[in-house]
Amino acid sequence: MKRLLVVDDEPHVARVLRVSLAKDGWSVETARDGAEALRVIANNPPDVMITDIQMPGMGGEELCRELHASLPHRPFPILVMTSMTARDQRDWARDLGSIEFLEKPVSPRRIAALLAQLLSQEKHNA
Amino acid sequence: MPDSDTRSVARYGRWLQRSVGPHFTVGIGSSEGGLLWPESSAELAGTLSSLPCAELECLPSMQRLDSADGPIYLRAITLPDACGAGWLVAIARHDAAPSDIELDALADAMDDVAAALDDATHLNTEMDLLAGELAERYEELHLVYEIDRHLANQDLGTEVLQDLLQSCAEQLNADVACFVRPADNLTISATNLSKPIHNLDLVLVEMRGDLFRFVSSSRTTLVINNTDDPRRAYIFTDMPYKVLACPVFQGIEMPAMLVLLNHDSKPDFSNSDRRLGEVMAHQIANVMHMQGMFAEMRRFTEQMAAALIEAVEAKDPYTRGHSERVHLLSMRLGQGLRLRTEEMENLHWGSLLHDVGKIGIPDAVLCKPGRLTSDEYTFIKVHPERSYEILRHVDRLKGAIEGARHHQEKFDGTGYPHGLRGTSIPLLARIIAVADTYDSITSSRAYRAGSTHEAAVKEMTRVSGTQLDPELLDVFLRICDDDPALLVKLGVRREWDDR
Repeated sequence: MKRLLVVDDEPHVARVLRVSLAKDGWSVETARDGAEALRVIANNPPDVMITDIQMPGMGGEELCRELHASLPHRPFPILVMTSMTARDQRDWARDLGSIEFLEKPVSPRRIAALLAQLLSQEKHNA
Repeated sequence: MPDSDTRSVARYGRWLQRSVGPHFTVGIGSSEGGLLWPESSAELAGTLSSLPCAELECLPSMQRLDSADGPIYLRAITLPDACGAGWLVAIARHDAAPSDIELDALADAMDDVAAALDDATHLNTEMDLLAGELAERYEELHLVYEIDRHLANQDLGTEVLQDLLQSCAEQLNADVACFVRPADNLTISATNLSKPIHNLDLVLVEMRGDLFRFVSSSRTTLVINNTDDPRRAYIFTDMPYKVLACPVFQGIEMPAMLVLLNHDSKPDFSNSDRRLGEVMAHQIANVMHMQGMFAEMRRFTEQMAAALIEAVEAKDPYTRGHSERVHLLSMRLGQGLRLRTEEMENLHWGSLLHDVGKIGIPDAVLCKPGRLTSDEYTFIKVHPERSYEILRHVDRLKGAIEGARHHQEKFDGTGYPHGLRGTSIPLLARIIAVADTYDSITSSRAYRAGSTHEAAVKEMTRVSGTQLDPELLDVFLRICDDDPALLVKLGVRREWDDR
């Protein structure tokens, strides 16, 4: 099973994703903020990580920076969920490895399609 | 087991330990007999692994088993989240056998924990069902938002359907999305191909026949996933695709359908796809309805304009067709000048209706076959202002009015009604003036035959800069040179016709 780590302080996001991605063969794990995500990753890195930007505690941007510092050759891609208005606020991710942005609102189908695409790219690059 | 589940198992374990007190050591095991909690109890782990846990019957009450190390008490449970079945386990701490009262208390505590776990599992399952439902609804909402966004940015041409289909193909991850309306042989399609489709055009054409008849006879959505589905025999013979076809209704009529196709290698069309397809078909029906109303409005406007023109031209048989010809020439000139769509729209109405004010001129003056007296000429000179007064009642013609009002102004400022000069005469009016002058010279009147094209060019060149805008005239003459067929269409005589 492919493992997806969803980092979001709103538990329903992870639950909806877990239920709707199960049929595509994804098992979804959750972390409520960046710090918890780092613990999960240290234990067992996922195949893909999806993270929110704004969370109480460590947010998405800091999480990506921390990951880049501790795992320069991070073996999994990251999808960052962001709001429409934040288009120009993506520069920070430029030098932090493979990070894609997802504009909210985004439908579970769209995420499923993106995940499949990301994985095939990874396979291609490997 | 994920972190969160381990934590929650530990919570239930501690709860059980607190309830039974110091008489028993308790733990939680998996269905196969592994110890999940507490991680550090060698005694429990050993006892548990010595038992044939996997073969035990999962009774909804506590049972006693005798192991090599003494009696052990077990109660079947459902573990948190999706971790399956497991056991609550307990062994007595003292050498003395526990009393019946202590055992009853243990059984009650185990029942309580098991019931709480069951409740949690039920709630969790229910939440998952709700989350699944939510995801589907969210998908629908997302599609509707997407459609709404497309419609907001569009007027209602055919491109809007094309756009809708494209976003439908992408959102539903279908290879092909197409709209089929057999009555006017209309098929609009968008693709999002996972791999190529051979003869896609042929496939699309074929749908207008049997597939459409099948859907319109059942009037419900058709889903065919299996290659050996017997219904395939009724719709098409050599189309190995998965099909989702939704009827598009207009009132009780079903004039069209929406069809999604997928390669056989793609997942089946699901119930959720079906619902989304129906949402989409419904939106397309709305678009069609609006397009219909839009076309009807347009037709009504055109017909009202035609009626007005008829009223003017009925007064003087010799001017029959004049408005139409001036319109045609003006539009060509507008195209030559690359006017924007909005200006072309204004030119369209302004040139068609430029002479509407002639309704107010007495027939005796308008149709007089000879020179006009200066009093009579005064009547003629008010007609552009009359056109203005008539057309100003129509909001949509606001941008077109100036073209009609000032088409008799002359470039040197000696025209009427306002004596405007040069480029202070509105552009549309200068365009209509060129077209109007040309048609007046080349068409026949009660008292004279129409002049030839060459004579008209000569005359218009003579008044270039005094009566007509020289730049516009240049463009006009170039158009005539480039497209002699235009003059034939207008019925203009040529010099060589006279020889």
